[in-house]
Amino acid sequence: MTLFTKDDCALCAQLKKQFDLSAMDVQVEVLGNNDAAALAHLAWHGLVEKARKSLPILVLDDSSALHEFDHIESRLLDRAAHYGVAAKGHGKQAGCASGSCALQ
Amino acid sequence: MGVVMPLNAETAQARTQRVINEDSTDIALFVRSSQDDMIGWNRQRIVEALLRETFVDRDTAEKISRDIEMTIQAGRVKTITGPLIREMVNAKLLEMGLEEARRMHTRLGVPLYDVDQLLVQHNKENANVPHGPEATNLTLAEGIKKEYALLQVFTPDVADAHLSGDLHLHDLGFIDRPYCSGQSLEYIKKFGLNLPHALSMAKPAKHAEVLLAHMVKFAASLQSHFAGAIGWDAINLFYAPYLEELSDEGVRQLAQMMIYEFSQQAVARGGQAIFSDVNIYWEVPKHFVDVPAIGPGGLYTGKTYGEYEKQAQRFAWALFEVYKEGDAAGRPFFFPKPLVHITEKFFKTDGHLDFLHHICEVASVKGNTYFVFDRGDTAKISECCRLSFKLEASDLEDAKQPWKMRYSALQNITINLPRLAFRAQGDDTRLFALLTEKIQLAAKAHGQKKKFIERLMSLGKGGPLSLLAMDLDGEPYLKLHRCSYLIGMVGLNELIRVHLGQELHDSDASIKFGLKVIAHMNIVCNKLAESLEMKFVLEQTPAESTAFRFAKLDLAHFSKKAEKVVQGNREKGEVYYSNSTLFNVGATMSPIARVEKEGLFHPLIEAGSITHLWLGEAQPDKEALASFVINVFKYTQNDQIAFSPEFTACLACGKTSRGLSETCPYCQSKDVDGITRITGYFTKISSWNKGKLGELHDRYRNVKRFNN
Repeated sequence: MTLFTKDDCALCAQLKKQFDLSAMDVQVEVLGNNDAAALAHLAWHGLVEKARKSLPILVLDDSSALHEFDHIESRLLDRAAHYGVAAKGHGKQAGCASGSCALQ
Repeated sequence: MGVVMPLNAETAQARTQRVINEDSTDIALFVRSSQDDMIGWNRQRIVEALLRETFVDRDTAEKISRDIEMTIQAGRVKTITGPLIREMVNAKLLEMGLEEARRMHTRLGVPLYDVDQLLVQHNKENANVPHGPEATNLTLAEGIKKEYALLQVFTPDVADAHLSGDLHLHDLGFIDRPYCSGQSLEYIKKFGLNLPHALSMAKPAKHAEVLLAHMVKFAASLQSHFAGAIGWDAINLFYAPYLEELSDEGVRQLAQMMIYEFSQQAVARGGQAIFSDVNIYWEVPKHFVDVPAIGPGGLYTGKTYGEYEKQAQRFAWALFEVYKEGDAAGRPFFFPKPLVHITEKFFKTDGHLDFLHHICEVASVKGNTYFVFDRGDTAKISECCRLSFKLEASDLEDAKQPWKMRYSALQNITINLPRLAFRAQGDDTRLFALLTEKIQLAAKAHGQKKKFIERLMSLGKGGPLSLLAMDLDGEPYLKLHRCSYLIGMVGLNELIRVHLGQELHDSDASIKFGLKVIAHMNIVCNKLAESLEMKFVLEQTPAESTAFRFAKLDLAHFSKKAEKVVQGNREKGEVYYSNSTLFNVGATMSPIARVEKEGLFHPLIEAGSITHLWLGEAQPDKEALASFVINVFKYTQNDQIAFSPEFTACLACGKTSRGLSETCPYCQSKDVDGITRITGYFTKISSWNKGKLGELHDRYRNVKRFNN
């Protein structure tokens, strides 16, 4: 499972704060101007255009992808429970400044 | 020894001013002399030339002129010509260690032997250039401008990178023009044909046929100011207000005139047909729906373009009827290339399935249709072999006054990817460092071309780019500040083969590494764009001759390594690298797998990509192709696809048959020529370069892959 994020994306930051993603075996890819591997990974899943509209994106083990924050959070809550990892709060709390929750 | 001032001691602006103050007519008419004896000899001319063209001091110039005079007298030379004296002076400058002065004093020209060759042999660098006196003029002029560009526009490191084959600076022979142009018909609808230096001025057209005449003439003018393609946005929509009074037959006649006008316009620059593209929509694009329509006489019709959907559809349909028929001999039209945009709205527009079947039938029968996929809110104007300009917020604002919509790429530079892998020797870090270095060098070259074009543009309406400086709508026709700078790639497939030992189609690991290479290019371009404030974007290079050139140079300079990966037939010299990010053209892949896998790269290549599906002699059902196109739109990331059939045109009986044959199936004549797509356009195979012939031989034809 891979979570595609970006540094200045408030919704991405919220998920990172809410979940201990490494303990849940969720790979975090940070898209930006320095990581070609992350961008290539995103392209491999055919998600570049989707990411240009919104982030975060969660790619599941069957390669399907979730784009809605609520769906992503819900899936991560399930995974946290499965791994016995505590999650801190839930619900969309962060707001996104214009365009920040998207790959520019 | 004389003192040599650095080249940049004179500012570019000052140099430009000095050059334009000198009447170039005088230079053209009087500079050369050829005499049978020494009568009229004046060594002061050498001194004046050295002082005028270089920074050599007067004493040195005098000394050189005296030495040359002595040499001529001692040699009993019977014929003295300007070029000969110049060569002697240059040798003297070299002898004295004045390399920079020699460079500045260089004479650009062509050896007699080369001219002999050029006059009789076909130059196949660009298959769209026929063989004839105009083409020879073009080649000779291009040769001199290429030399000029490499000496005067670009710095030695950039020029060396081009000459050695690390990079390819495209269209150096057109150094004094931007690369290509995309625009709206609205410009001539609103302002008429009002071009600088034209002998007459035409008001906005009142009739469809006149509008067509204006369009063709304007396209020809643009061809002489741009190196590459001339694209037209939403052509069927912008013609629509002129079509209301026309019968269906009248609309079809107009469509036929348009296609023939563009495909037969092989009389202008170098005898070349205008490389023209027409963007076509079945629906009215969202950004034009509420835009007031301009009709006959350049006047607003009182309606919006949203109200012209049916007229626009009539014209689109008629255009494809003409394409389906082909020319008088049944051959496909080479130009204008029709690019149909497949969008979300397309599928919501009445009649779309019938239209899709119609254009798929054309794709199957003649191959003309290009399917451009604009998913989500993406809107773009496409042209050239695959280039596209994505419309950004400012462009969509311009769309409210569509005559303002014009886009240009200033230059195209391609990076030789396999060579980077040769040098990296399997080391990832080294590979990416080398790639970064070459992109930086390409960016530097773009900056140099930009500066040069800015100088020419600064001369305004009295300068050589007066057409691009015209400002009928308050802005120069060429919006320099919004130009793109293209960075392309050749041979990703061979880079992977050198670096990983596999080709792109061999494994997922190969594709993933290939994506990393292109992602790296994308990221470096973005960073450079930010720091240099220039819009660097990746484009899949068409590489009609570059894929051949790089392969040849690498076989010469990296022979042991290159021999293992260069594609084609080395014995025949028909060698090439795979174009851009394309997979091996000969790989046995299902068409959908090729479209899907090549399409993974497309979102990283913002300025345009394409997947070619070679049909050979197959002629699939229109329904099968339509279903395929729908699946590509829905389930892949692919930017654009084209189906390419092959034809044999008989020069003896004039008939056209399907597939490539050595003899005409109708009259058995061997006087035949093949026709198919070379890179992004149809042309005659006899005009192809050797590399492309090698590729043609290797292409995997999807003969039984579609339902027949």
